[in-house]
Amino acid sequence: MRASFRQLETRRAGLPDKAVKLTRDQYHDLYYYLRLNRRVDEQLTSLYRQGKVVGGVYSSLGQEGISVGTAYALGPDDVVGIMIRNAGAMLVRGFRPRDLFMQYMARRDGPTGGRDANTHFGDLKRGVIAPISMLGELVPLLAGVALAARIRRQQRVALTYVGDGSTSTTPFHEGLNLAAVLKLPLILIAENNGWAYSTPIEKQTANTHLVDRAQAYGIAGAAIDGNNVVEVYEATSEAAERARKGGGPTLIEARTMRMKGHAEHDDARYVPKELIEKWRKRDPIVAYEKLLTKERLLTAEEKAEVEGRVEKVIREDLEFAEASPFPAPETETQPVWA
Amino acid sequence: MPGLKAATIAKKVVEPDVKTLERMLYYLKLTREAEQLLERVLYRQGKIVGGVYVGRGQEAIAVGSAIQLVEGDVVFPSHRDFAAWIIRGFTLRDVFLNWLGRAHGPTRGRENTNHFGDVRRGLIPVISPLGDTCPLACGTALVQKQRARGNVTLVHFGEGTTSRGDVHEAMNLAAVWTLPVIFICNNNAYAYSTPTRQQYAVKDLSARAPAYGMPGMTIDGNDVLKVYDAARQAIKRARAGKGPSFIECKTFRMTGHSAHDAAQYVPKELFEMAAKDDPLARFEKELVAMKIVDSKRLGQLEQQIAKEIDEAVAFAESSSLPEGADAVKGVYCEAGCVWQATGV
Repeated sequence: MRASFRQLETRRAGLPDKAVKLTRDQYHDLYYYLRLNRRVDEQLTSLYRQGKVVGGVYSSLGQEGISVGTAYALGPDDVVGIMIRNAGAMLVRGFRPRDLFMQYMARRDGPTGGRDANTHFGDLKRGVIAPISMLGELVPLLAGVALAARIRRQQRVALTYVGDGSTSTTPFHEGLNLAAVLKLPLILIAENNGWAYSTPIEKQTANTHLVDRAQAYGIAGAAIDGNNVVEVYEATSEAAERARKGGGPTLIEARTMRMKGHAEHDDARYVPKELIEKWRKRDPIVAYEKLLTKERLLTAEEKAEVEGRVEKVIREDLEFAEASPFPAPETETQPVWA
Repeated sequence: MPGLKAATIAKKVVEPDVKTLERMLYYLKLTREAEQLLERVLYRQGKIVGGVYVGRGQEAIAVGSAIQLVEGDVVFPSHRDFAAWIIRGFTLRDVFLNWLGRAHGPTRGRENTNHFGDVRRGLIPVISPLGDTCPLACGTALVQKQRARGNVTLVHFGEGTTSRGDVHEAMNLAAVWTLPVIFICNNNAYAYSTPTRQQYAVKDLSARAPAYGMPGMTIDGNDVLKVYDAARQAIKRARAGKGPSFIECKTFRMTGHSAHDAAQYVPKELFEMAAKDDPLARFEKELVAMKIVDSKRLGQLEQQIAKEIDEAVAFAESSSLPEGADAVKGVYCEAGCVWQATGV
């Protein structure tokens, strides 16, 4: 028998049929963060259109389930390295909408004091590593966080995100291979939203099942519906458990769709309209509301209560952010160095 | 030897014709003898300035693959693929002149290892930062695809190199653009002193290929016929416009990283096991069993090779070193230089 070329053996690691161990309050928490993420997004778009935002606004519209579900599955000592579409993860980790509003409007009281007008901020106390614009760079960095945790004998898990485009980069490969060799407690979420700016995934890679990359590194992999927040939560919890037990990294491909342009300034004419329409019917928040209603986990009163809390914090934080001044010019040189 | 007998090793291959078998034997023996002289004689005599990097134990990979190339094809050898140069038409004189830093060598004494090539012969020089040749190979393959003459590009690299982003980006690009490039991983078990268990967490590196959407194969790289067959399949595929392939050739570096490295970090047993699995000895035995050669013919071949090498070394040693005043020449493309002449 002649040696034959290895053909694709796809391993779509499905999730075990186990009951999600979430309490009613936790279901409501997830709902709260999803809505909050959506409302922050809407407000940022509105501020952008009012000319109050300096620079671009990168929306997470349609991808909220991934940010919220992954971050919610982590413990307080875990660390998450966020990317531009992960405002939901920041909110779960304790940032307030005002932080994002002030940051985007470059206000004095924002996390970077008006220096960066985007989501490039984090907080080590909250276990949040700031985004790095060069896509994929967070992979080796979070592998480093995971390595440090092991050396310190901490039960810490590190999680970060890449887009489908980032999987073609060097740091994705080098970081993931290193994490695999060292069996680091790393969870890598590949948010497959179909588009890297204007590049569709078919032009990005010949095998669009990003989960197949897991086999290439000898690590666990799972492909999930990124628009199903419960599935995201469950897959992340399972990966975190594996990581804590020394089982090494996991690559989770969360399939979703970028429902807006790359940023507010991009009208995304290159995306077929039908695709947007198709995915609009699969909105993660609408889907979650349906699930909660069906499972009788959210009464009309409870829904109104959650929405009320969301609106209240949005209103308060918008007011607070708009009242914050711009930084004083003479402070410009101050926090450049540590 | 760890992982050498991979599960995917073939039992039977499509045999090359007798003439090709004899040529392969010639190139294997020539490589072994010439590198023996470079690494263990000329280097130790202090005649070579710098390091000597040889492919002892892994000669079958370059021989079994490069021998199938035709005009217009391109090979990017690694520093351990000596035979690729000879097969692509460089002479032994070229090789020794370069290693000895002589004025009439391919780099005119500027470079004293094997960082030389010739676009007309379809051999692109080694690039020392490993992995950098992979995206370059995508470039030549893209040109080949555009010219549509059915040409292909082979690129060799070690298993250590697979950890680099260049390889990743290149394999992804080659697959998405359906480029006629064959990625050949010479997995010789050590990246300098790093063993494979510290390099990657998969059993076979061919597991990488499906992730990019290309076929991959892991073979016994010490069996020149298996290398030949795997390369044949991949080349056929590429010539037919079906895109890239990945071939992992499991082998063993039967020496140090270079002549200055005693490789004390490699367990002795591994060297002993590798010696029993010597690709040259295996192929000789096989050809004798197939009655393609006998001991008399082997003896003649050895004499012929020794004569060729002696002649080339004598020529190189009697050749002059470059003049000090010429040091500034050849830095930039001059009139008549190959890169200009071919419009590359």
